[in-house]
Amino acid sequence: MASSSQKQGSSKYVTLISSDGFEFVVLREAACISKAIKKMLAGSFLETKRGDRCHFEEINGIVLEKVAEYFCYNHKNRNREDVPDMEIPPELCLELLMAADYLDT
Amino acid sequence: MNPPNPPNSMPPPAGPPQRPARQIRGPQSALTDFLASQGINANQIRQDADARRAAARASLQNGGGDGDDDAPSPEAESEVAPARKETKAQAAKRKKEEEKAIAKIKASKQFQRRRKQYGSDDDMSDEDEAARAIFEESMAPLPGQMENCELCEKRFSVTAYSRAGPDGGLLCPKCSKELGKEEGSAKKKRKIAAGRARRQLQSNLLDGIYPGAKDLMTLCIETLAKNVHNADSLGDLSDELVDKIAAILSKKRLMTPETLYLFLRPGSDTVTVYDAAKLTSDDFIRIFQIVPTVKHLRLRNAIQFKNKVMDHLLGTTVELETLSLHGSNLIDDGRWDQFLTEKGSHLRALKVYNTDGHFGDEQLEMVATHCPNLHRLKVCHNQKVTTKGVHHIAKMPNLTHLSLELYQQMPFLEGDLSLTDVLDSTGAGLRTLSLATIHNLTNNVLKDIHDNCQNLSKLRLTDNSTFTDDGFANLFTGWLNPPLIYIDLHKCRHIDAAEPRENPNRVGLGSAGFEALMAHSGLTLKHLNVHSCRHISREAFENVFAEDKTYLEMQEIDISFCQSVNDFVVGSIFRSCPNLKTLKVFGNFGVKEVKVPKGKILIGVPNALGMQIEGTEEDEGRVI
Repeated sequence: MASSSQKQGSSKYVTLISSDGFEFVVLREAACISKAIKKMLAGSFLETKRGDRCHFEEINGIVLEKVAEYFCYNHKNRNREDVPDMEIPPELCLELLMAADYLDT
Repeated sequence: MNPPNPPNSMPPPAGPPQRPARQIRGPQSALTDFLASQGINANQIRQDADARRAAARASLQNGGGDGDDDAPSPEAESEVAPARKETKAQAAKRKKEEEKAIAKIKASKQFQRRRKQYGSDDDMSDEDEAARAIFEESMAPLPGQMENCELCEKRFSVTAYSRAGPDGGLLCPKCSKELGKEEGSAKKKRKIAAGRARRQLQSNLLDGIYPGAKDLMTLCIETLAKNVHNADSLGDLSDELVDKIAAILSKKRLMTPETLYLFLRPGSDTVTVYDAAKLTSDDFIRIFQIVPTVKHLRLRNAIQFKNKVMDHLLGTTVELETLSLHGSNLIDDGRWDQFLTEKGSHLRALKVYNTDGHFGDEQLEMVATHCPNLHRLKVCHNQKVTTKGVHHIAKMPNLTHLSLELYQQMPFLEGDLSLTDVLDSTGAGLRTLSLATIHNLTNNVLKDIHDNCQNLSKLRLTDNSTFTDDGFANLFTGWLNPPLIYIDLHKCRHIDAAEPRENPNRVGLGSAGFEALMAHSGLTLKHLNVHSCRHISREAFENVFAEDKTYLEMQEIDISFCQSVNDFVVGSIFRSCPNLKTLKVFGNFGVKEVKVPKGKILIGVPNALGMQIEGTEEDEGRVI
């Protein structure tokens, strides 16, 4: 636990990297809405080479962008009740659903 | 800079009375009153009129050129260029006059008053702008004059009710009516949308969904449901996801013969349709054709699952392990017998709901003889099964899950005896036991459960007015069964219309029974439903949810219609159950203004306000 809290202290932001090499920098707190990312950052997963970088070999840049957008949307609205739904393009829906299932958000 | 909209390209009509108010000399005419109440006085009118005349004169001298903004005529247009050249000096003069007028307005008392009035308004923050606005306003045509409509450019006579258009000009009655209609519908729409959002929020609360941003999976599934008609297949989604999508589609009543195909995946062993109301018999037959490997078939509202479908099923090689049929009241007893005889040996779970006059005692007998592997039996909303049928259940020793909700009430004692039989033979293996709407069963059944069942995790005994408090206390005291996870004892209470408050024989789940229950199962309990158990005292609640007691597993509690529940009890429950998600308190008028910790849902607060969320360090408390 000590090492994980040290990592927490290291940066406020984490980098999510898609299979095709796109990088998205998001707030650590926002990204930890995903239980999978939270565990990745806390433990020593293969996907997280240095405490604050997560590689997703199965998620491409387009989908991961939407995921990052969702993290921001969720973080922005965390203390509100009347939240408008985020727009999701129907063509991305299935891929995004699989990503959401994988990330557990 | 463009000159301000010329008030009127036409010279002011000579004849018409400009201000009827001036002619009135009587002390108290209605019009005088009205004008006075509107803050209009003769001096101001005269000033306005003078300014307007000056401006009109100026614009007249400019020639028709300025009028082309409003109603361009081909002749005027040809002369535009020279006319503009001529007016340069005129324009400068007019500008000067205008500035003078504005300065005058700025100095006037009325303007100061208006400034104060609009003090908070951002639009009026700039003094010059404000003065100009007033100036332009005063230059607008007066009632009684003719004006071209800003939108349709027709001429009409200006009245006190003429409305300003989007660019500041006036509108004819027809256009203003249309504008009003549009605005009205927009306003109405906004109102409807707000109402819908509020109702949706309350509906979500009732479903146990905490308001706020939805999780990504829900968003995706909802988008998918909206666009399901464009989907060809669901790809290789996992079974749980497919099941979730199926559930949401059914909730939105979108499960049609076309969308059914998305869920018929060859090679799969599970087919679940949560709302099959729109499917025809042929669609059900197609399920067996496309997915011959199906082992677990669950269909709700499967009304068209009738003899024809059963005949087809009997003709295939499908070997069902789970059959859950809801609402299939068109399968006659003969077909059930045939099914149980031919396919019964594979069955491990059989759930039959709402079959009206079919599936009775004889069929239960068939189940007992032909389904040796049956682990799970559920007969719900059934009008045919009687005590005789219940006796047959005693011949199914492998049962681990038993659920009965029969409309033919088991008579006193006879019912007890039949259940004693059942519990003697199956009780030891039972993991869930659910007996709903059992008016006439007595403490003997509680004793049988205490003696026979040692593996239960879920217990439901509902709608009974003969079990006593002592009976419940004895059940939960010294019971060898490990602590339960799910308890539903709702509507176990005394009913007497003549003496509603008295309960001399301590009928129903009371204080002793409740405390014994929580002492036995409290630590592992996740779901607790004691709604309408109105004999539980406030002291019992306070003891159970005392300061030093915590129930970490508890997720859902229903204590509706327990009269003694008040703000303090609700607060104590929130303190003792840190992981609680939903608490229902319908009809508890002692609950008035308890503060709900963030993230928890309190349903049924008896006031129009709804639940009040407690504030935290981060944000304020509020009401939703």
